[in-house]
Amino acid sequence: MRAFGWRAVVVFALLAALPLVPGVSRYYLLLAFDALLFGAIAMSLDLLMGYTGLVSFGHAAFYGLGAYATAILMERGVQSVWACVGFALLVVGLYALVVSYFATARRGIYFALLTLIFAEVVYTFFRYTQTFGGSDGIQGLPDATLFPGLVIDTPTRKYYLVLAYLAVAYAICRVLVASHFGRVLVAIRENEDRARFLGYNVQRYKMGACMISALLTGVAGAIYPMRSAFATPDLMLWTESGEFIISVMIGGLGTLVGPIIGGAFFTILRDKVSSIVDWYFIVIGVVLIVIVLFMPRGLLGLRRIFSRERATA
Amino acid sequence: MILEVDDVSKRFGALAALTRVSFGVEAGQVFSVIGPNGAGKSTLFNVVSGLFAPNTGRVRFRGEDITGLPPERVNRLGLAKTFQITNVFPEISVLDNVRVAAQSRAPESGRPSSLWRRPDVDGTVVALLEAFGLAARGEAHAKNLSHGEQRYLEICVALATSPTLLLLDEPTAGMTPGETRDATALIRKVVLERGLTLLLIEHDMSVVMGISDRVAVLHFGEKIAEGTPDAIRHDPRVIEAYLGGGDD
Repeated sequence: MRAFGWRAVVVFALLAALPLVPGVSRYYLLLAFDALLFGAIAMSLDLLMGYTGLVSFGHAAFYGLGAYATAILMERGVQSVWACVGFALLVVGLYALVVSYFATARRGIYFALLTLIFAEVVYTFFRYTQTFGGSDGIQGLPDATLFPGLVIDTPTRKYYLVLAYLAVAYAICRVLVASHFGRVLVAIRENEDRARFLGYNVQRYKMGACMISALLTGVAGAIYPMRSAFATPDLMLWTESGEFIISVMIGGLGTLVGPIIGGAFFTILRDKVSSIVDWYFIVIGVVLIVIVLFMPRGLLGLRRIFSRERATA
Repeated sequence: MILEVDDVSKRFGALAALTRVSFGVEAGQVFSVIGPNGAGKSTLFNVVSGLFAPNTGRVRFRGEDITGLPPERVNRLGLAKTFQITNVFPEISVLDNVRVAAQSRAPESGRPSSLWRRPDVDGTVVALLEAFGLAARGEAHAKNLSHGEQRYLEICVALATSPTLLLLDEPTAGMTPGETRDATALIRKVVLERGLTLLLIEHDMSVVMGISDRVAVLHFGEKIAEGTPDAIRHDPRVIEAYLGGGDD
């Protein structure tokens, strides 16, 4: 629990109590699932964007590959959560190894472009070949099984699954950013040329950050079909990567907690506005522009208005 | 001989930045490379520290050929460098600047355990900051330091990697004459205390004469003289290079 401050414990306890609140419907529990999953992905991306200073436009591919890993296994009768997550780690890990090796060989906009191009290739493969169902993807998946006899079938159980994942991923990220490794990532963000002169093989550290971020995102992807019962190529579309980036930005770069809030906020906003109007992205766009212009530190920056505490991230 | 630069040339397109430069630095020496602006001094440092590979010639450090090794490898062999234009980590604290440098020599560095452990290097870090009068500024962001403080931080960051050979590229650049005197005295003191070898670049001759054991002079990328400070001071070619300029 060293990685968890008492505030994190309180927040997770409150989140764990959500299904106990009377009157919380299926719909809200599943919306909460999506919000926390999106938050977990934004947090993983924050390791790259906020701490290492690398912007990935290809995280949707890690997410989508994780989802397909689960879907492919489930289609063949494997329902174990652990098997699906393990398979997703393998698939996403192999893909991320290739992407991160080539992408980290270049800097700035080239890194961003390479991640995007790799992701588009993966998207095209899943969308335009019939290998894994083409544009329909893989549909009608059964419920996953956590342990023999414990099926993740109700919205409450699905919600607890994603909450448990978020807690583990958050603990991993917290430990990581406070470690030797995390400190070097920040140095790379600040001045990668100087970091080399301190004896750090910058590309290896960047690759490490990419791999960890990709694997966390891949596991989030693996969990998604356990709620939706499908995996489609749309999960890998570049707009999905864009939404991850937006979530990190509106939450607050380099804070971990901020992007969780940003991802959740984005998901809920999209859900609420799209249920009212079709042109919901115009509304969301205006909200996001206001946040970016007037809250450069993101939603988490608001805490500064309420407390005098100095952020030390 | 701790550092041997042997017949090194470096060209950038048509520009010959260094032409067949050779010299050697003995362990424990303060060796200075001087020359007017544009003489090739920084290029020489960049070749020695691994940023550029030379077109010809070899660089040996403690007997090992380091020609063309990347900066991170050269640094791990015990050679640290500062920059003429302050080159630190602007948006993190002074303490964290020096910590990230110091921890590169921790046993965790490069091992899987570096993913979850954070080595405690604060003893070394605080001692360095105290030596350079920055202890009270530890929590400040590096970008908020005064120019003089940033120049000292630059040296602290390099020293934190526990080098045996320290390369300082115009450490007093932009300082007033008074600050320059203080800084020079302080650098000399720290180098002596730690038993380091110092290779110093300066364009201002007066800075190096008092602290150097040996001085080499670069002019238009060529070494035109080498010797004790006294010999250099009276060398007609050196006087010509400094006073005559490049017109005739």
